[in-house]
Amino acid sequence: MRRGGVLHGVVLLTVLLTSILAASAVGSVPISPVDVGKMLLSRVPLFGHVEKTWTAIQEVIILQVRLPRVLLAALIGAGLSAAGVLFQGILRNPLADPYVIGVSSGASLGAAAALLFVIPAGWAWYGTVPLFAFVGALAATIIVYRVGLVKGRIHPTNLILAGVAVGSLFTALVSFMMVMKTQNLQDVYMWLMGSLSGRGWLQLGAAVPYVLGGCAVAIFISSKLDVYLLGEETAHSLGVDVQRLQKQVLVLGSLIAAACVAVSGVIGFVGLMVPHAVRMWIGPKHRRLTVYSCLVGAIFLLAADTLARTVLSPLELPVGIVTAMTGGPFFIYLMKRG
Amino acid sequence: MERRTIIEFQDVYFAYSSRPVVSELTFALPSGRFIGIVGPNGAGKSTVLKLMDRLLVPTKGQVFVAGRNIAEYSLLELARLIALIPQEPQYFPFTVREIVTLGRSPYRRAYSGVSPQDEEIVEKAMADAGVLELADRVVDQLSGGEKQRVTVARALAQATDILLLDEPTNHLDIEHQLHICKLLRTKAEGGMTCVAVLHDLNLVAAYCHEVLVLHDGRLAAQGSPDDVLTPGLIREVYNVDVPDIRHPITGRPVIAP
Repeated sequence: MRRGGVLHGVVLLTVLLTSILAASAVGSVPISPVDVGKMLLSRVPLFGHVEKTWTAIQEVIILQVRLPRVLLAALIGAGLSAAGVLFQGILRNPLADPYVIGVSSGASLGAAAALLFVIPAGWAWYGTVPLFAFVGALAATIIVYRVGLVKGRIHPTNLILAGVAVGSLFTALVSFMMVMKTQNLQDVYMWLMGSLSGRGWLQLGAAVPYVLGGCAVAIFISSKLDVYLLGEETAHSLGVDVQRLQKQVLVLGSLIAAACVAVSGVIGFVGLMVPHAVRMWIGPKHRRLTVYSCLVGAIFLLAADTLARTVLSPLELPVGIVTAMTGGPFFIYLMKRG
Repeated sequence: MERRTIIEFQDVYFAYSSRPVVSELTFALPSGRFIGIVGPNGAGKSTVLKLMDRLLVPTKGQVFVAGRNIAEYSLLELARLIALIPQEPQYFPFTVREIVTLGRSPYRRAYSGVSPQDEEIVEKAMADAGVLELADRVVDQLSGGEKQRVTVARALAQATDILLLDEPTNHLDIEHQLHICKLLRTKAEGGMTCVAVLHDLNLVAAYCHEVLVLHDGRLAAQGSPDDVLTPGLIREVYNVDVPDIRHPITGRPVIAP
């Protein structure tokens, strides 16, 4: 029998909530996880009478700095993993990840343009980089989609090839920009490797509707992917409108991935690895796979980001480096174990 | 049992770009029969099967299923009426029971679980197709013959009046070929209309109630295998000479060039 009953889900959810408390407690100013828990509780209307055992500064650190970042890491981890499940399913390709149809290269182009040209020109406002990245991601996806269509129909292989072509063009444009302008180069590098440094409630609020809403819809329509994986003709004969499902899933996956990339930069590996690891654990049924991948992805990126901001403190590593350096060996271990 | 017309083609044409694949096809198929579609490579057999499940839409002419123009059905209505086994079914590492249960998806709402009634139908379909003892195995560990039976079980779980199969006996050994043909004949006698594209004329002669012969996208003959599969027709359609021999026990035609 396969694993992955409700009990496993509850365990994962508990691990996630505990990790959120624990990760908020970790940092250059140590604060006990119990205090973090009480601090949060004191904000809930009915529990306002909780005894204050922490300082006002500690409260600011937790509520204004660490908590939003920790929540954002969990959100991005869940979103990238859900998008990975969607793309691997709809493209029937185990190498597909959230960036396979151009999201990352488009977002990079947008972000690089903002960091190298728009902000130095003095047109900066707070959301410039995420906005440019989001628009770039969607623009690239639309181009890839149009290029990948054959006689108005979607062919997964063509879509992947179009993604590679458009991706390399956009990546070349980013490199070209970086050669032309050297101001802010450090920021561009950080962005290209993915980082949650300095992100707060604003970014969390911007990403939540797309990512959380997207994950919910993904869980809802993902069971159709089970039928889809039996082949397009079989899916048709089982009452699935294949063309419509492909469009829905591509739009959904791209929106989730674009929102994630826009606020965090290109965090690699999570969206590719988490769905595979979860599939090895609980099997390929898509509804369960999507729910579990969201939970595991959230825990994984949360842990990786906590490492990224603490190992070399006060320096910060781009979290993309941590996900690849820890996730890579673990994934190889999983594959070898079978 | 009373037989009615369940599938009807009226002057159907189908063309990929400008090259016609089938033309002037007019025929009616009776319900509750095992019907073979035969013909040389490129005769349009798979195309005809796909037109029957609206995987393809006629360039000209009409297809009627159960008395209604096939264009008027919703996809879900069609899925509750017609099951299809394509030429090269794809598999994914689901268990056999999971795959067969997917056959119930046209009846399930997005968030409802598997009802006891669904489970019963799935169990019966697996028993009929002879895969009950494989229920908890993962499908990519099975042999080709076992996989094909799983696909048949999935189609049976769909509980449709019509079952379409594109070369279901391809790549199978003789035991599995006979198993599938016997099953289709039994199902047909139980009231389900089974239409299969088949290459083996001897299987058609032995098991089909009726045969549809296609040649260059046109209907060359239709009728019982006894009447249709004559040396004359086989020479005309396949361009090979065969002697006129009959099976010593069943008396059915034997095609042995």
